[in-house]
Amino acid sequence: MDADSPFRAYEVERRTRRQRWAYKWDLYVASPLRVVWSDWRTRVGVLIVVFYLLMGTVGVVLVPPPETNQGALHTQPFQTMAHPLGTDGLGQDMISLIVHATPPMLEMMLSGGVFATGVATVLGTLAGYRAGRIDSVLTTVMDMATAIPGLPLAIVVATILQPESPWVVGIVLTINVWAGLGRSIRSQVLTLRESDYVEASRTMRIRTPNIIARDIVPNIMPYITINFVNAGRIVIFSSVALYFLGVLPFTNTHWGVTMNRAYRNSGALYSLGASYTLLIPMIAIIVLSLGLVLLSQGADRIFNPRVRARRSKTISDSEDPGTGGAR
Amino acid sequence: MHWLINRLGRAILTIVGTVSLSFVMIRLIPGGPLDYLRGQIRNQNPGMSSDAIDALVEAQAAINPDQSIVEQYVSYMSSVFQGDLGTSTWYGDPVNQILIEALPWTLFVMALSLLFTFAIGIGLGAVMAYKEGSRFDYTFSSVSIFFNSIPYYVLGVLFLFVLSYQMDLFPTGGRSSDAVPVGFSVAFLLDALYHAALPVLSFVLTRFGFQALAMRGNSINVLGENYLRAAKIRGLPGRRIAFQYVGRNAVLPLYTTLMISIGTMFGGAVILEEIFAYPGIGYYMFQAIDARDYPLMMGAFIIITTAIVAAILFADLTYGLIDPRASGGETRETY
Amino acid sequence: MSPGKDVVLDVEGARVQFEMDRGVARVLDDVDLSVSREEIFGIVGESGSGKSMLAASMLDAVEDPGVLSGSITYYPSPDEPVDILELSAEELRQLRWEEIAMVFQGALDSFNPTLRIGQHFQETLSAHNVDRQSGMERARELLSDLYLEPEQVLASHPHELSGGMRQRALIALALLLEPEVLVMDEPTGALDLLMQRSILSLIKKLQRKYNLTIVFISHDLPLVANLADRIGVMYAFDLVEVGTAEDVVEGARHPYTRALLKAVPNLETPYAEMQPIAGRAPDPVSVPKGCSYAERCPLADDQCLDVHPPYDDLTDEHRVACYYPEEAPAAIPLPFEDQSVERPDDPPEAAGAAPGKEGSR
Repeated sequence: MDADSPFRAYEVERRTRRQRWAYKWDLYVASPLRVVWSDWRTRVGVLIVVFYLLMGTVGVVLVPPPETNQGALHTQPFQTMAHPLGTDGLGQDMISLIVHATPPMLEMMLSGGVFATGVATVLGTLAGYRAGRIDSVLTTVMDMATAIPGLPLAIVVATILQPESPWVVGIVLTINVWAGLGRSIRSQVLTLRESDYVEASRTMRIRTPNIIARDIVPNIMPYITINFVNAGRIVIFSSVALYFLGVLPFTNTHWGVTMNRAYRNSGALYSLGASYTLLIPMIAIIVLSLGLVLLSQGADRIFNPRVRARRSKTISDSEDPGTGGAR
Repeated sequence: MHWLINRLGRAILTIVGTVSLSFVMIRLIPGGPLDYLRGQIRNQNPGMSSDAIDALVEAQAAINPDQSIVEQYVSYMSSVFQGDLGTSTWYGDPVNQILIEALPWTLFVMALSLLFTFAIGIGLGAVMAYKEGSRFDYTFSSVSIFFNSIPYYVLGVLFLFVLSYQMDLFPTGGRSSDAVPVGFSVAFLLDALYHAALPVLSFVLTRFGFQALAMRGNSINVLGENYLRAAKIRGLPGRRIAFQYVGRNAVLPLYTTLMISIGTMFGGAVILEEIFAYPGIGYYMFQAIDARDYPLMMGAFIIITTAIVAAILFADLTYGLIDPRASGGETRETY
Repeated sequence: MSPGKDVVLDVEGARVQFEMDRGVARVLDDVDLSVSREEIFGIVGESGSGKSMLAASMLDAVEDPGVLSGSITYYPSPDEPVDILELSAEELRQLRWEEIAMVFQGALDSFNPTLRIGQHFQETLSAHNVDRQSGMERARELLSDLYLEPEQVLASHPHELSGGMRQRALIALALLLEPEVLVMDEPTGALDLLMQRSILSLIKKLQRKYNLTIVFISHDLPLVANLADRIGVMYAFDLVEVGTAEDVVEGARHPYTRALLKAVPNLETPYAEMQPIAGRAPDPVSVPKGCSYAERCPLADDQCLDVHPPYDDLTDEHRVACYYPEEAPAAIPLPFEDQSVERPDDPPEAAGAAPGKEGSR
């Protein structure tokens, strides 16, 4: 029934602890998974991401690491079973190159995602919840950092620092992603701070860190999750670009490095014969990026109640189409 | 008025911050440009004393060794704000001269890309929302998502490979033909468009989908609003509802997206210009990186940031003209 | 139904259905209702009972995918019936707002945020080919009637007005084209109590000044009781009791109406006497074949569960869809029974006082 139905409070009181857990399980785990699985686009996204995760963990054990002169130079794809996707200009197996580039890629995405969303959550929550002087200083800082173009800044920093560890590369590439994200977390927290239940917690003199941990963060968690995925995508785009263009040092196996060799050394642009060395890593990048896009859009569908309300045509919809009935 | 001063202040503060950042990066980071320069001179002149090397480094980087770091900072800031970005070590020309000449080309590509991205995105998104759930909606949603997941430079490389090198339909680089004289002529404009076509296309194709999906979502939200239902029952003509009600209210939130897009696209321009050998700001930035030409690199970075700050400031100031709720200024949240 | 009266809006067998994954949902179930000229007719029901659907039906404005059937007849004059559901799109467009206007639920966002209030008035005038000058004069008069500063309000954007001001501006907009009938769906829902009272007294004043017929829909029975001449109580997509305000409040005969009166939260009702109604309202996909309230009703027997009860006309004005209207008062006693209730003609200061007031002593 409607949230404003007079009977609701009456029923909630009678729920047992066990029912509450069942309810929570359904609300936070089972029902989102059902939504994920019900939409084939999200399903494909999940499968793609799982595939890359497997490639980065199990795949590197099964597939030998790339070495120069592993096979003949420039073996074309689909010619020999030894090198199904061929070899590059240095005789490295294409499959080895792709598979062994996955772990550093995943590490970069993880560190970039944690860094960007972590800093953003801390600063955004602090600014939004504390308001006043702290807020205006933090907001100004975040506004300024947002205005500085992320990619050129990352290029400059990468050129000067020449980072080698994937973990550092991830942070360099998301060097100002936290700013815009922190700004929007701030405005969400600002809205939440004024909400009735946070007001209630304050009235009950619950300590601020507890309010933030129990009332605020769980509510912005979906948003953070989606942006974690998006930060990962930014890391893919930027890292490939910077390795491809030779800004980052070639110490990691990376799809961008493979593309760079194809472009600079094999002349993949001019000769049709070498084009596969450029195309194969490109496909690896596009598929992973597609998986992440599908995943974050699916997550958006799960977490966006307006969309969900449109899907499950509940009775409140019929009472008041479009507005959700609970006004 | 207070709001205006506040915005201007922030813009200026951002630029000051950027320039300070570049000072820090050039002078203070260990293993940074100065150490690189020192190493280079040592390699070329193995017998030179380290004092002599330091003197040479200071001369090349225009550092006055008698100044404290604070004095160096002040003199760096003041010369940058007087328009002096130093001299390119690679080209030997003043950095600002190189970049001022390149800037209009970058802006040209950017403006075209933004224009097409938003025009296509808004139009397509509106139609998708109007036909929500139809085959058209479904197809174009999927197409939008797919193109959205291709990195723009990957598409750029593909275009370059297929359309320029293999099929010879488009130039493989440059921003205009030598045969066409620079000037305000139709021939020159067409030639410039011809050279800008692939970079612009790479941007537009990989980004329109994002705008289309955003516009679609906004429009669907507006279609569920009370004021829309009220407008229909009041018997307003369909055109008025489509433009003044759905269109206007759905486009407004995109304005913030536009501001963010200016930044990300400028960043992307750096990479696309390098790939298409299109001599704009980004192209020179990469030339500078390859040649370890730090004054030119930092100059390009400062120019790009300034251009973005100016663009965002402009967008911010004009927003109030199209959204009455923003006239108060302070209350509006940028997402 | 009262044939002798001057009926302005006659609803017969109105039904709204739409397809859902689980089956066909019927959110308005063969509702019959007559609204007399220049009366205030109140419709009361909890949310989800279909009252907003009934309101939308009166303008044939049920939103997709809902499908409305039955007949809705509008009488501009007693011998000129207009079948609303048979009108062409253009005729319907003209009828709405010129003859029957509506104030929506969620009134606070019924204005386009990017247009000035005045532009809403102007666009409405030009959409209905009304002379702009005389139309805007009427707009100013209406706004003054509602204690608003016309020039200031017309020049404002919606967000610059308070909730109460926006609500009143919306009522003025609804009356701009001199409609006969004004349908108001929870018009005071988003307002605080004080503002609700002042809006109610304004509605009464406007009704007298412009000889309006008003259909006033709310979940708040005491509120409606103070305003309406007649009241219809909705439960599970149909009206279960219709009568004068006095009949329904003081002489309620349907067990649901009585339970509703008992459940009304009122500051002065002792907590012990306030009782929520146990059980749930029926699902629109599977409405029971018998009385829809039977499952929650203390009086229900096999007949109630099997056969939908027809209306029992207690008087000319008072009808109840129940087999046991005589037994209901004893089965569901009310604390204020046999007490007199303030009438709608009372001075506006008393408006909003709940019928339970005297009962608490």
